[in-house]
Amino acid sequence: MDTHEKFLEGGDTAEAVVPGNSAKSELLVRIHLRPIDEGVMPDEGRALKPEEVALLDAWVEGGAKWPKGVTLTERKPEAPKRVALPQKAPRSNIEAAAMLDDILRRENAGTGVVTTQTLNNAAFLRRSTIDLIGRIPTMNEVREYEGWGENRQTKLISKLSSQPRFADRWTVFMADMLRVRSNVTGGNQLLAYLHGSIEQKKPYDVLVRELISASGRANSNPAVGYILGDDAQPMELAAATAQIFLGVQIGCAMCHDHPFDDWAQKDFYDLAAFFGKTKKMESRRRGGSVYTTEGNEMTVLWPPEDKAETRDRKPVKPRFPFQLGHFEKTPHHIQRFEAVRLSQEQENSTDDNTASLDALLDSVEPNIGRPSDPVLEEAKKESQKLNVHGDLYRSSELRDQLAQLITDPRNDYFARAFVNRVWAELIGHGFVEPLDNFSDYNGLHHPTTLDFLAQEFIASGYDFRTLIRIITLSDVYRRSALPADTPFELREKSELNFAAAPSRRMLGEVLYDSIVVAGHLEDFKWPKGANNKQVSREIQIATGEFTMVEAGDAEKVTTMAGSPAMRGDGYDLESSLKIDFSSILSSKEQTELASMREKSNEQIKAEEMAAIQKDEQRKVMKYKTETITETVDDNPRFDSAMRMATPAPPAHFLRVFGQPARTGLGEFRDEASSLRQQLMMLNGRMTHEASRVGTLEPLHHLLKKDQDLAIDWAYQEILTRLPTPDEKSDARTIVDDHSQGMADLRWALINSNEFRFLP
Amino acid sequence: MSCNDYQINRRRILKTFSASLLGMPISQLLAQTTPNRAQAEHVILFWNSGGMSHLDTWDPKPGRKVQGEFNPIKTSVDGMEISEIFPQLAKQMHHGALIRSIAGTNGDHGRAQYELQTGFNQSPNIMHPGLGSLVVHEREPLGDLPALVSISGQPARAGYLGQQCEAYFVGRPGQKDPYLAFPEGISHARGMQRLQILEKMNARTSGEKGSKELKASQTALKDAVNLMESPALKAFELEDEDPKTVAKYGDTEFGRGALLARRLVEKGVRFVQVNRGGFDNHGNIFDAMRNHGAAMDPAIASLLSDLKANGMLSKTLVVVLSEFGRTPRINDGGGRDHWARCFSAMMAGGGIKGGSIVGASDEDGMAPAERPVKVSDLHATMCHALGIKQDKELFTPQGRPMRVVPKGATPIHELFA
Repeated sequence: MDTHEKFLEGGDTAEAVVPGNSAKSELLVRIHLRPIDEGVMPDEGRALKPEEVALLDAWVEGGAKWPKGVTLTERKPEAPKRVALPQKAPRSNIEAAAMLDDILRRENAGTGVVTTQTLNNAAFLRRSTIDLIGRIPTMNEVREYEGWGENRQTKLISKLSSQPRFADRWTVFMADMLRVRSNVTGGNQLLAYLHGSIEQKKPYDVLVRELISASGRANSNPAVGYILGDDAQPMELAAATAQIFLGVQIGCAMCHDHPFDDWAQKDFYDLAAFFGKTKKMESRRRGGSVYTTEGNEMTVLWPPEDKAETRDRKPVKPRFPFQLGHFEKTPHHIQRFEAVRLSQEQENSTDDNTASLDALLDSVEPNIGRPSDPVLEEAKKESQKLNVHGDLYRSSELRDQLAQLITDPRNDYFARAFVNRVWAELIGHGFVEPLDNFSDYNGLHHPTTLDFLAQEFIASGYDFRTLIRIITLSDVYRRSALPADTPFELREKSELNFAAAPSRRMLGEVLYDSIVVAGHLEDFKWPKGANNKQVSREIQIATGEFTMVEAGDAEKVTTMAGSPAMRGDGYDLESSLKIDFSSILSSKEQTELASMREKSNEQIKAEEMAAIQKDEQRKVMKYKTETITETVDDNPRFDSAMRMATPAPPAHFLRVFGQPARTGLGEFRDEASSLRQQLMMLNGRMTHEASRVGTLEPLHHLLKKDQDLAIDWAYQEILTRLPTPDEKSDARTIVDDHSQGMADLRWALINSNEFRFLP
Repeated sequence: MSCNDYQINRRRILKTFSASLLGMPISQLLAQTTPNRAQAEHVILFWNSGGMSHLDTWDPKPGRKVQGEFNPIKTSVDGMEISEIFPQLAKQMHHGALIRSIAGTNGDHGRAQYELQTGFNQSPNIMHPGLGSLVVHEREPLGDLPALVSISGQPARAGYLGQQCEAYFVGRPGQKDPYLAFPEGISHARGMQRLQILEKMNARTSGEKGSKELKASQTALKDAVNLMESPALKAFELEDEDPKTVAKYGDTEFGRGALLARRLVEKGVRFVQVNRGGFDNHGNIFDAMRNHGAAMDPAIASLLSDLKANGMLSKTLVVVLSEFGRTPRINDGGGRDHWARCFSAMMAGGGIKGGSIVGASDEDGMAPAERPVKVSDLHATMCHALGIKQDKELFTPQGRPMRVVPKGATPIHELFA
C-alpha cells in the first residue's frame, strides 16, 4: 500500500480505495466500523479520531489524489520504554531473582495491572516439581518438603534442578525446539545427545556451536542429527538456524524480500551460503550409513533460480546479516562471562582431543570380501585431507565461523531468543510472541527484564540451570491466578504483563508421567497372577511349504508383516515404547518403532518386501492363520513417556495432548482441549489402572486402617494438598470404606481439571 | 510462494479479536456462509498415499509403449475407459467424473501431500488446515458424532484451526474403539456415577478460577460424555451390518473403511477420510496395482451404488485423490517413479455431473494436453460443491488473515450441471 499503484491495486478480497466512491472503498468501510467489530482498522493502537476519519472520507471522495513519486513507509511501532538496569552484578541466584522482580515491578508501574499474591507452599511444590522434573510430587517428596523449614522453596529449586529427571523433562523442551524426530536419520542419536548435554551441564553456547558445525555420522557424532534433520539443505538450515537460535524469521525472505520486516532476499542467501558446501552422503550399500561432509563447491548461487539463467548465477560469499553489539567498554556481564569461561577451560585439562586419522578410518565399516565401494573410497580420500587436530568431524570451516558468530556474547539475539522460550515455558507467556519472531515490527514488552535475564544467562557462561533457578526463585514465577470474576480485559492485561499467572496445562508427557506416579504404575502394584486375563489372538504360522503368489494372495502376505508387539485391544495408543539413550549411540535402529508407524509406511515396506521376496524366488512361504487363547497376566506397568520415540504416532495419547509433529518450522505445542483428550482420559487404560488400588500400594493398607487418613493421602498423592472439609465429607460417601470407592475417588481426582492444570 | 495467501497490505494482529466472545472465536460466530447452489453436505475422501499411477487407473494409454500390463475397459459412460483393475467401478462411472489434466508442481512426497491435502504449498511458520478440518470448520456439525473422522490413517492436521478441528481417528474400521466406552470392569452405572463425581469436583475448581482454558476443558468433557451416550455411536460398529454387505465391499480393511464411511455420513458425519498407502511403487507396480484394484474396486463401486440407492449420492461428494501420478515410462524395476507434471483424480456425487471428463493428457500421459487444472483448483471445486466461499477469510490464533484456497484457484465449473 506504499506506492500509488499498489494502493489502487487493492488486496486479495477487496479494493482498498475506489477514487471518488467512499462506499466501495474497503479502507473507509473499515475505519468506520466500531472498535468491537471484526475487521476494524486500525487494529492496533488508538482508533482514528472523527476528524481524521472525515479527512480520509473527503480525500477519497475528492478522487484520492496522490502526488507523483510519493512512497509511504511503514512507521515502526515505538521502541518499548526501558527502565534502568541494576548497576552491580548479583552475588547469588536469589539476589538475581530479587533484582528481576524489582525491574519487572518498575516496568509495570502505572500500567494498572493487578498483581496477585504468591502461591502457598503446597501449590509451589506442585508447580515447580511439574515444571522442573515433569511430574507431580510423590508422597515422600511432599513429606520431605513439609519437613524443611523456612527455606523450603529455595531448597526445593536446588534439589529439583539437580535431579536426573530434570534432564529428561528439559530434553522434551529441546526436542520441541530443535524439531527432533525419531524416524529421521540421526533423530534418536540427536535426542540422546541432547539428553546427555543437559545431564552433563554443557553450556548452551557450546551445545549450539556443536550442532551448527557438526559433521560426520550420527552414530559417532550425534550432533550431526541437527544437520541431517533438514537433509543438509542450505536454505532449510539457514531458515531453521536463524529462527531457532536467534528468534528471527529471516526464512520468510527465502523467496522474496521479507514482507513484514527489513530483511532482503539477498540477506537470506548470504546466510544460507554458510551451509552452502555441506553435503549429505549415503553409502550405496543397503543399510549403509548416512553422513555429512563438506564439498568443494558453493551450492548457494545468486540471483535466485527464478530470476536468472543458470550461467548467470554466481556463488554467494557467506556474510552474517545480523549486527553484533559494539561497546567502547566491555559490559560487566561479558567480563563475567569471560572469567567463567577462562576458569572452565583451565579446569578441562590440555588433553589431546584429537581423534586420530586411524580412528576415523576404523569407524568406517570395512568392505571385507566385497568390491570396494566408490563412495567409501571418496570418503576416505576426503578424510585424509582433513585437519587432524581438533574434532575431525567439525570439518566445515564455514559452519564453524557461523557457529562462532551466532553464539558470540555480543550477539543480542542469541541469548534473548533462548531466554524468551524458557521464560514462556515457565511463566506462560513470552516477552515476544510468537516466541521465535523478534522483529522491530513485532511488539516486545518488558525489554529491561528480558535484557537483565539475558545478561545474567550470558554471565553465568550460558548455564541452563542458572537461568532456570533465577526465574523460579523470583516472585514472578510464584504468582497465583486471578479470581474467576475478573473482567476479561483486566485478566488479559495482567497475565500478559506477568503480574498474574495464566492457566497452564501440563505437557502431554508430563500428564502421562503424572498419572503413572499418581497411580503407582512405575512398578507392579499387584502381585503375580492378580490380573490374569484370557486373551485370544490370531497368529500366522509358517507351514514350511511354498506357493506361487497370485494377485489376490499378495494382500494376505502384506498383512502378515504387521508387528506382533501390539496389545491388539486398541489401548496401544497409550503405550510407551522405551528407547534406551545409552545404547542408542552404539547400536542399531529400534525395530519396534516400525510397528507404530502409520499404516501407509507399514504397507509400503511390506509390499516392498513381498515384491523383493517374490522377485528373488517367485514363490512365497505359505502361512496358516490360527487363533490361540492364552492366559496373560495383564499386570499394569508404564514407563516414562519422556523416554519414548518422539514424536509419538499420530493418534497416541501424547499427540492428542499437543505434542507437535515437528515437521514444520515455527510449530509450537497446541494447548487446546479436545474431545479426544477427554475420551482418552475418561476411558483410557492408564487412568483406569492408576485409579485401581493395588494391593502392594501403601494406600491399600491405609484404607483398611483409617478411611479419613486414606482420603487425605489420596488427595496429597494426586493433588498435592489436603481436602477441604466439604470435599472430605463428599469423599467419605464416595469411598465408603471400599477400595472400589477409593478407586472411584482417585479416578475423579485424576480426571479433574485441577489435576492437569498447574496451580 | 504462499506468502501471497494473506493480504500483503497490512499485517493485522487482532490482539483483542484473537480473544473470544462466549468462548467461541469471533470469526466462527460471524461465519455466515451463503451457499452458492451448493449441494454437497458430506465428503468422503479416499486418500491414496504414495502417488497413485494415473496410467494404470484413470487414464489408460492403450497401444503406447507406456501402456503397461493393463488394458482399458469400457465403462457405463460412452467414450470413457478406465483401467481393467476396476471392473465393478467401471459400471458406476456414470456417477463419477474424471479429471485427467492436473498439473502439479511437487514431486516430493512431503511437499506434495501437504499441497494436495491443504491446497497450499508448505511455508515456514504457518500450518494450513487439511481439507477435512477446513470443511468441518465452515459447516456446522450435524448430529452427535464427531464432524471429521479419519479411518486407517491420519489426515493433514487442523493447523491454525486448532484442536477442535482435528480428526477423530479410527484405526481399525469396524472394530470397537475402547475409548468410547467405560473400561472393562466398570459397569455402566458405576461409570455414570464416576462422571457425576467428576462434574462436582470440576464445578468447584472452575467456579474458583474461571479462565477460558478451564471452560474449554469443561466443554470438551461435556462433548465427550454426550458422544459416549449417543446412540449414533452404533455407526462405528459393523457387527449389525448384513454380512453380505460386508462381503460386497470386500472383507479388507479398505472395504470395511468404505462401508464405515457410508454409515458415518448416513449418521451425519460431515467429512470422512479413508486412508490407504502402498502406492509408491518404484518397482513391481503391476502386481501392486492388481492388489490395489482388488481392494478398491468392490469398495468404491459398492459405496457409489449404495449412496445412490439410499438417496445420499447427490449430497455426498466422493473424491479419490493422491499426491501425484507416476512416470509413464516404466523403469528397470518394473515400476514407475514420481510424476507430478500430469496426473488424475476422480470425483463423484455432491452435485458433480456424472460421466464428465475434464481435461486430457497427451498421448503418453506425460503432460496436460487440454484444460490443465491446478491442484488448488481441485480444492476450489470441492469448496464450491460444499458452499464454502473461497474468498472467505480465516484467522490464525495470532490474528493473521488466511485465505480458504490460494489466490487464483478456480472451481472447475464444467463439473457442475
